[in-house]
Amino acid sequence: MNEIYYVIVAPIFFGLLGFLINRLRTEFDLVAFILTLWYAIRIFIATRTQIISYNVASIIGIDFRFYADSLAGFIVLFNAIFAILIWLYSLRAMSKAPRERAYYLYVALTLSAANGVVLSGNLIFLLLFWNVLVFSLYGMLQVGKVYSSPAARKAITIIGVSDYVMMLGIVIFLVRTGNLNFPLENTVLFTDVWLVVSYVMILAGVLAKLGTVPLHTWIPEASKVLPASTLAFIPGSLDKLLGFYLLMRISYHIFDITKYVPLQLTLMIIGSVTIIFMALMALLQKDAQRLLAFSTVSQAGYMVLGVGTGIPIAIAGALFHMLNNVFYKSALFLSTGSVDYRTKTTDLDSLGGLGVKMPYTLFTFVVAALALSGVPPLNGFYSKWMIYQGIIEMSGKIDIWFVFLICAMFGSILTLAYSLKLIHSIFLGERPKELSKVREARFEMVVPALVLALGCIAFGIFAQALPLRHLILPSLGYDIGEAGFWSPTLATVLIIVGIIVGVIVYLMGTAMKPRRTRVFVGGEIMEEEAARMTGPNFYSSVNSVEMLKKTYDFGEGGAFDFYNYLRGAAGGIAIVSRDVIDRIITSIYRIIGRIATIVGKLTSLLHTGELYTYVGWIFLGGIVILLILVF
Amino acid sequence: MIGLDFFVDQYGIFLSVIFIFIGLMSLIYGLATNREKGHRLEFYIMLFLIVGSGVGVALSYNLLLMYILWEISTFAVWRAVAYYRGDGEISASTLTFLVNFAAATLMLIGFSILYLDNGTFNLTEIIVINDTAAILILIGILTKSVTIPLHIWLAPAYNAIPSAIGASLAGIAENLGAILFLRLFTMGNYGAPGFFNTVAWIAIISSIIGGGVALRVNKLRSLLAFSTISQLGFVILAFAVGGTYGILGGVLYIAAHALAKSGLFYGVGVIEDATGEDDMRNVACLLRLSPVLAVSMAMLVGSIIGFFPMLGFFSKLTVVIGAVEKTAYFGIGAIVAAIFTLLYNARFYHELFFGERCDVYKLRAKRPSYTGVAVAFILAIVSLLLGIFFYQPVYYLTTGGL
Repeated sequence: MNEIYYVIVAPIFFGLLGFLINRLRTEFDLVAFILTLWYAIRIFIATRTQIISYNVASIIGIDFRFYADSLAGFIVLFNAIFAILIWLYSLRAMSKAPRERAYYLYVALTLSAANGVVLSGNLIFLLLFWNVLVFSLYGMLQVGKVYSSPAARKAITIIGVSDYVMMLGIVIFLVRTGNLNFPLENTVLFTDVWLVVSYVMILAGVLAKLGTVPLHTWIPEASKVLPASTLAFIPGSLDKLLGFYLLMRISYHIFDITKYVPLQLTLMIIGSVTIIFMALMALLQKDAQRLLAFSTVSQAGYMVLGVGTGIPIAIAGALFHMLNNVFYKSALFLSTGSVDYRTKTTDLDSLGGLGVKMPYTLFTFVVAALALSGVPPLNGFYSKWMIYQGIIEMSGKIDIWFVFLICAMFGSILTLAYSLKLIHSIFLGERPKELSKVREARFEMVVPALVLALGCIAFGIFAQALPLRHLILPSLGYDIGEAGFWSPTLATVLIIVGIIVGVIVYLMGTAMKPRRTRVFVGGEIMEEEAARMTGPNFYSSVNSVEMLKKTYDFGEGGAFDFYNYLRGAAGGIAIVSRDVIDRIITSIYRIIGRIATIVGKLTSLLHTGELYTYVGWIFLGGIVILLILVF
Repeated sequence: MIGLDFFVDQYGIFLSVIFIFIGLMSLIYGLATNREKGHRLEFYIMLFLIVGSGVGVALSYNLLLMYILWEISTFAVWRAVAYYRGDGEISASTLTFLVNFAAATLMLIGFSILYLDNGTFNLTEIIVINDTAAILILIGILTKSVTIPLHIWLAPAYNAIPSAIGASLAGIAENLGAILFLRLFTMGNYGAPGFFNTVAWIAIISSIIGGGVALRVNKLRSLLAFSTISQLGFVILAFAVGGTYGILGGVLYIAAHALAKSGLFYGVGVIEDATGEDDMRNVACLLRLSPVLAVSMAMLVGSIIGFFPMLGFFSKLTVVIGAVEKTAYFGIGAIVAAIFTLLYNARFYHELFFGERCDVYKLRAKRPSYTGVAVAFILAIVSLLLGIFFYQPVYYLTTGGL
């Protein structure tokens, strides 16, 4: 199967050619992405019916092996599809950006490495490609809208640390099983506490890639300074694909977490916490890209939650949700990017009323936002529904299943709230004066977003017939019949729960007493602009809810930021090392030096320069030698 | 008792090639940058002595011969550190010489005990290793391969030495201790497991503390010095745990660290010459000064951190495999040290080449030396190629065939 080589080598080879020969860059990149897509399709088709597996080399007892099953084929296909869409979008959006040349090289390198991760059949081999992604991420984050270097440093620190932890987890796992070539398709049981530890360590790397609490903080940070295409490409799509892939591999192929409930609970708790807190953070944001970044993190929670249940329908739902999320989140990022391209801002306060000016963007945005919030019949609804089903099926296994269900549903409500806020703030409402000349974005920028939005509709309406039957279920090897059966009783219960939660939110909040602001015009003629109600302002009642406000202040203050804690701990050890340990050692050496000096001084006292002192010493010495010789 | 007892095995050859390559780069860099009229000859003599003694130690199997070469190396470093003849340089070189010489004397006592016990200095024939002798020799080794608490001489030496020889000191002279440890203890007959475990823990703690200090210091060369301390901890750890992966990882780690650290030394030298600053806080946004230098330094720093396309990745991985095979706690210690490596390197690179607000920063610098940038670039490319085609050196080191 030469295809496997090609999907890894082609992007970086042609990408490098394009980087070196700048004049023909677009042509080379086109060749790179088309070739990759072509071979990815061939891999996808081949892996439907067979498993591809062969050795490249083996040294020091490590086999470097390629391995592609149906899940890998699926991920490779979507890697290629998203890379080509993002590339197409970037052609216009990134043109004349600083360091544009390097940007395309990083896109190609990321695609190569991502394909390598998915196709490697050995954990050490996988680690090689996984590491390349850190390099390309750091480079890509340097190509910002504005100066993005601190965000890049933060990202590389978080990702790098979790990669180290993952490397240690993999090594402990391989050494404990006694087989450095542990094949991805074999399963071990948690017979040893070190195996549990190694699972958790590998999980740290996976969750950093997926971007869940507490390893997500670089994504919102980067969203302030990065262009939309980078956001859509790395945290929006490829990281989700890869993170999900590896999460599936370690949770159900290498280990089997259904055999060890505490790990399942861990995953589900991480998922639920991510969903709720990040949706709350998203609701309170004032910048479109930053809001979407929090939303991306929040949606990753659903995937982890779904995988954590261990119920086939929820796992399929999680994979479907991952795919859907990649679709609508990329569409949202790209549409926001189109708005940014025309208006030069993503600040919700200065946007508004663009729907008339940018109808195609409005369409893609609304479809994607509704899909995100799980409105039927769009795709987001179906995948969330499958996850709910899975959680309900958990009822026999763990007692607190309903907590997770409530979290997932409450998260969904919050998602709807912030989606509406986004739509309202950008496309509806009053238009600020300066935006009156805005036009629809360029053709090349509209098309990728439009394709993704139409994908959302198609995957929603034909969820059973198209994606589930042909993509999701075969990739997982599950056969769960009519997935996502509609049970009226359940639906009623769920709707009642939804209403109760809604009532609680209503009573808890300030929604009962609308906020009134008095307008003083002082005799002047009131200009339209002064009376404009911006989107975030419209939603600012939410910020005044005490609990939410606290959360928001904590979050913005960096209280949930793993990076700050890491830096704090490392800084503490650094201070101890330098100002205590190093200083003590230095002073010990200094004391030794002092002693040597003092001894020198003392002996120099003996050198008086007078003859009789020396003669006295000679006699003394002679007596000592005599005594030694005699006895 | 003593003759020119040299032998050839794959480790010796591999390390010699690396050492000679680094020496060659030092020579090129020295020819281009060292325009001082006065005592230039001393510069080249000391450079050749460092390279020669490094190759000699890597290839000899006689302890006494090793000791002589070791002292030649100490002597050359002593003269090289004092090259600029300032007060600070003289006192740094005195410190370097005294600490190294005292430790080497203790080591010589250890060698003598081995000779009395075994009747030979031949490494292959030494069967009995006395505990006292082992500890005395260990002091010499840890001083040469700067391990806390015997690291005291390194930071002053780095600050004083000319960049060209500094790269050779970082790449060659410091590794002699680790090589002796490999030859005498890891591949030898010393059978006290407590000894190896203690050395491994010393190495891990030294690596963590070195990384911690590197996170705090602001002088560029002091940072390089403590980075070296933290990296050599990995090498000693690898040789202390031993086994196939330990030995392979240690030797690869020496190569990766030597190439990367000497490249960083040239890079720092170029930066110091161009900006006239030796403090990290006073320089920023050097990406604009020279993008090639920025890319080379990114690769070199990546190699030290251990990201894949660089040689540093595979060496770190094998060290960790070797450590975990002994016990998983060594692995955890190594990863904590590696996290510090990541943190201080990210800080170093970020502060130098970017900084907080590059869009408004005014960069004051002369044109950087082309040769210096080229040398750093060549070392980065060599690290990259060895990293991509890592199976070649790995195959050579494990089987001895090409």
